[in-house]
Amino acid sequence: MDKPNRLGLLSVAALAAIVLVLPLVVKSSFAIDIFIRILLFSFLGVAWNLMGGYAKQLSLGHAAYFGLGAYTSTLMQVNYGISPWIGMIAGGVVAMLASLPIGWLCFRLRGPYFTIATIATAQALMLIFLKFRDFAWGAEGTTIPNLGNAPLMMQFEAKSAYYYVVLGLLAVGLAITYAIEKSWMGYYLVAIGEDEDAAEAIGVNAPSMKRKIYMISAFLTALGGTFYTQYIYFIDPATAFSFNISIEAALVSIVGGIGTLWGPVIGTILLETTSTLLQSWLGSSLGGLQLTVYSLILMAVILWRPTGLMGMLTEAYQRYLNRRPARA
Amino acid sequence: MLETVAQAVINGLLIGGIYALVSIGVTLIFGVVKIVNFAQGEFVMIGMYLSFYLATQFGIDPIVSLVVTMPVLFVVGVLIQHFLIRRVLGPNDMPQIFLTFALSLLLLNLALMLFTANYRTVHTSYSDEAFHLGGLYIPVAKLIAFAVAMMLSAALWVFLHTTDLGKAMRAASQNRDVATLMGINPNRVFCVALGIALALAGAAGSLLMPFYSAYPFVGQVFVLMAFVAVVLGTLGNVMGALIASLMMGVAESLGIQYVGADSGLLVVFAMLLLTLAFKPNGLGGGRAR
Amino acid sequence: MTKDRQQSVLNNAGSNDASGATPILSKRQSRRKFLLKASGVVAAGAFGAVPLRGWAADPVNIGALYPTTGSMAQIGVGCVAAAKLAVEMINEAGGIKSLGGAKLNLILSDVQSDTTVTRTETDRLITGNKLSAVHGCFASALTLIASEVCERAKVPIITGSSSDQLNKGRTYTFTPFARASQFAKAQLQMAKLVGDKPKVAVIFENTAFGTSTSNGLKELAPGEGVEIVMFEPYSAGFTDASPLINKVKASGANALFSVSYLNDLILIVRTVKQVGLDVAINGGSGGFVIPDFYKNVGKLAEGLQGVAHWNHDMSDDAQKVNAEYKKRTGDFLFEYAGGLVAQTFMIADALERAGSADPQKVREALSTLDVSSGYAAMAPGGKVKFGPDGKNIYGHPVGVQWQNSDLASVFPKEDARAPLLKT
Repeated sequence: MDKPNRLGLLSVAALAAIVLVLPLVVKSSFAIDIFIRILLFSFLGVAWNLMGGYAKQLSLGHAAYFGLGAYTSTLMQVNYGISPWIGMIAGGVVAMLASLPIGWLCFRLRGPYFTIATIATAQALMLIFLKFRDFAWGAEGTTIPNLGNAPLMMQFEAKSAYYYVVLGLLAVGLAITYAIEKSWMGYYLVAIGEDEDAAEAIGVNAPSMKRKIYMISAFLTALGGTFYTQYIYFIDPATAFSFNISIEAALVSIVGGIGTLWGPVIGTILLETTSTLLQSWLGSSLGGLQLTVYSLILMAVILWRPTGLMGMLTEAYQRYLNRRPARA
Repeated sequence: MLETVAQAVINGLLIGGIYALVSIGVTLIFGVVKIVNFAQGEFVMIGMYLSFYLATQFGIDPIVSLVVTMPVLFVVGVLIQHFLIRRVLGPNDMPQIFLTFALSLLLLNLALMLFTANYRTVHTSYSDEAFHLGGLYIPVAKLIAFAVAMMLSAALWVFLHTTDLGKAMRAASQNRDVATLMGINPNRVFCVALGIALALAGAAGSLLMPFYSAYPFVGQVFVLMAFVAVVLGTLGNVMGALIASLMMGVAESLGIQYVGADSGLLVVFAMLLLTLAFKPNGLGGGRAR
Repeated sequence: MTKDRQQSVLNNAGSNDASGATPILSKRQSRRKFLLKASGVVAAGAFGAVPLRGWAADPVNIGALYPTTGSMAQIGVGCVAAAKLAVEMINEAGGIKSLGGAKLNLILSDVQSDTTVTRTETDRLITGNKLSAVHGCFASALTLIASEVCERAKVPIITGSSSDQLNKGRTYTFTPFARASQFAKAQLQMAKLVGDKPKVAVIFENTAFGTSTSNGLKELAPGEGVEIVMFEPYSAGFTDASPLINKVKASGANALFSVSYLNDLILIVRTVKQVGLDVAINGGSGGFVIPDFYKNVGKLAEGLQGVAHWNHDMSDDAQKVNAEYKKRTGDFLFEYAGGLVAQTFMIADALERAGSADPQKVREALSTLDVSSGYAAMAPGGKVKFGPDGKNIYGHPVGVQWQNSDLASVFPKEDARAPLLKT
């Protein structure tokens, strides 16, 4: 275990300062939208990373929890007038509970078939929400009631308020990841990720660990779902359980550095800025261009730098360290 | 009443044949190379567009164009194995999963860029015709597709069980290390496996053209069913994938008929989940992977 | 340039006619009038009352949000072509007279068939430009989000999207065309025209578009004397329509209402032919009424009926626009695209009456819109007037039928431009 060094702490503090001040300095509403998007998908990536990065349980169905969180808070708000702040936590709890039967089913499979099973569960949830119209508006979805500026109901007139909310979520996600990474749980997870059978052989209770991390990952993802609904004012099954959300959560983590604390954040920044630049250079003239570029980046990472951007940065840093003279 | 059931079963079997072509490819790759090809659906799509092109430019009937799409996709398969997949084969699952996944995204979006989202349809003389037997109807195009799919599956089975290369593939599938020790070149075997699997996907695409429309997302529609069939029929088991595909086609059809028109997929998922609950390795049994 | 000035001066002097015709004055009189006006303007300019460069009045920004990429790109691209055409037509006719001949400036945004993008793009469009009004987005889900953003930003949005939710609790959303619930009634009435005792099977794709239209069908059928023998949602994007059609056959229906997007419709129509099922198909709206449908289904489309909120044979004006659009794109002007041309003219009309580019004033002017001639009135029935909930009180759909590879309006009688062919 390495103790956090002073340089590391200082740089994190500096980063935090910049990030906190950003919306006050940048006035462009569009830019703030981009920041919000980056923060949100960093958060989703961090949540995914707990399962997929550390424990190497590669789920492509996290949208299931995103959607459950979104629907829980919206149902509570529209039907009972309960604040989405509470609804957000409730959504997290619902997601946690849902992860138990889903996990029980999916963990019976290993490797890519686990992945397929997770895709199937998100799809199944979407189908269920599409079918049961009386329960949750079905296919048409609904907009959240227009309350103007209502901070207690998670609706703000100022775009920057949304920024701070999702920043807070990301901070929570990073803090939890850091805590787990440095704890005994973190080691067990990495062991399971490397070789589950070997880990079990030395006494790690793999099923229990996997269950626990899945619950945490699901909980966090659901919080993101609630935020997202409050931000775009709308929810429907296709959006809430969208496969694209599952993909992006995993994508940013892999590109950024799977199984690292900052990986998802760096990955999101890279992918989102690429996307925005592409859009402004080429306009939206070519449908499919953005994802084509994303997939090429992903393939490049997989083929040449599977450790992602974080891996590249750490390697570069190591090389820099090694070049220093004077080894006693 | 009986007529309705019979018709539903026939419908299910016919589409099941297409599912089979796609899922056999996936299970073959999985059995031999031990990776999941998430991009299999996109190769079906490529097969469809290729057939469309041949039909509209040269007037070649899509079913006839099999003789072009299959070899072309075979070569594509070999290239993909040799240059891409070979580099990520190793103990770690993650690169393998995301490589083919990225490939799927790439192909789909390239198609979207190159061909736009417009639907492409080919009308042949038999496209909308059907045989009528009693009160039952059997669409001509689908029957041909089913027949060809079964023939290709049979041909594959013969290949795997009688030719040296086929046996080598089965050996590598059962135990890669021992197979290598016995002088089988894994990469060569993998190339053939990829080639065959993609050729089958291309065949599915060509066979679909007379009665289905090509568009960039078309692969996604079939690939989900294919994956479920692979799991259901046990990973790596070609015959299992075939039977599971046919079963799923029928289950989907009956589900739509008797549970609800939007419940076809749900019934299939239910079938999958039930099977996994009691037989985690699928209907074919076998060791846990 | 001088000619323009002369034109606009004469127009300001006299007529309020939107067509921009100059009043007939003798040449000497015109010149005198012109000199009078010109000197007046120069004098005013000297006092700074009217900035001389105001001759080229600031353009008025109109936002247009359509999915030109993604799954709905086919329709989106057509909509954008129509949007550009409409703005050109208005500008060529002299722009907004009450704003000094100000031209409309169309600011387009691609919403990529995605809900998040719609949210951010609508926002970006509004905050990045001084918009007077917005139109879009074709798909119900996207339009709902855009209308929420517009409502909060107090910018009026006018849309052809049929979702009934758009008229609930909003003051900035205007819907000049038929609502989803109205489509249903029209379909039912059309069924009665083709057969005596229509037994209808209703299948609809289980997203917003399908469910809202089909709900209307279920509620209104008994009142219209139509028996619904099958009512089933289905999952859009199926591999095979046979099970569904099999079910339709088993239900004993003699008419099939399908509320679907294009790809499913193609399969459904072809499968019905394969089965040899003798049912009158009414394909509703959506993918049914676009040129692509005919391109993919061919002759099988002949005689099939549908409903649309706009069709290009509704009036001479519509035919004129259709001809121009066809010249540019090669296809006939389809429902949504034609509708948005009319919407652009409605915005122009509102701008004229508001005399201001301020979105809230434009909103006021839209709420009092009442037209029955000109391009702004291109709607079934030829009249547009908004009620307090943003609905057009005269709004109703028109029944259409594919005839000779073109879409002809056949229902109701007042709107029929061709006879309804019994197949």
